[in-house]
Amino acid sequence: MTIRVQFWSYFKDLTGCADLTEELPEGSTVDDLLKRLHVHHPKLAVMQNSTLIAVGVDYQGRSHVLRDGDEVSLFPPVQGG
Amino acid sequence: MRAMKHQLTLTPGAIDEPALIAARQMSAGMGAAVYFSGVVRGSEEDQTISAIEYTAFAQMVERQFHLIFDQIEKRWPIESLRIVHRLGVVKVNEPSLWLEVVAPHRGEAFAAGQFLIDEMKRTVPIWKKPLP
Repeated sequence: MTIRVQFWSYFKDLTGCADLTEELPEGSTVDDLLKRLHVHHPKLAVMQNSTLIAVGVDYQGRSHVLRDGDEVSLFPPVQGG
Repeated sequence: MRAMKHQLTLTPGAIDEPALIAARQMSAGMGAAVYFSGVVRGSEEDQTISAIEYTAFAQMVERQFHLIFDQIEKRWPIESLRIVHRLGVVKVNEPSLWLEVVAPHRGEAFAAGQFLIDEMKRTVPIWKKPLP
């Protein structure tokens, strides 16, 4: 299945891109996606304890099961106001 | 109790506080209008700055604010809530955030406003970058 990943704030600088796509086996979770991303983007791995994750426009945990076509967003802690 | 009215604005333009205050609407049963202006400070982590650049994941900002509005509506008898957040570069001394809560009494108006800001800082995907 195809998953689109978007990076926000300084995560764009850590990965050198605003978005990418990953091909994952059916039944993969957010955690599976993160492990795949960390191989190619080790700077992202350093931030994993503070990384916030959304699928679509809702927050999700690492055990969330992804579906084909999902859009996953990864970003640092928010700072509005 | 009627549904709480709410208005969310994300804007690259300056926040026009007099115009916002002039547009206030309150029904006869309302006794409190609390508004708050969040202003960019001239320093960030002991460094002097000239401005802050705000970026946002706009679709998710809307979703997360509406989840907060739903919680507020369940907890307090708020008549209306308006919030404006700047995006892009906001200079020192300019407001980056403006909000208003209209309620029957000051207690719930202050409490709802505080809750809104606290939750925004926890869940709404807006980020800031200090500019020297």
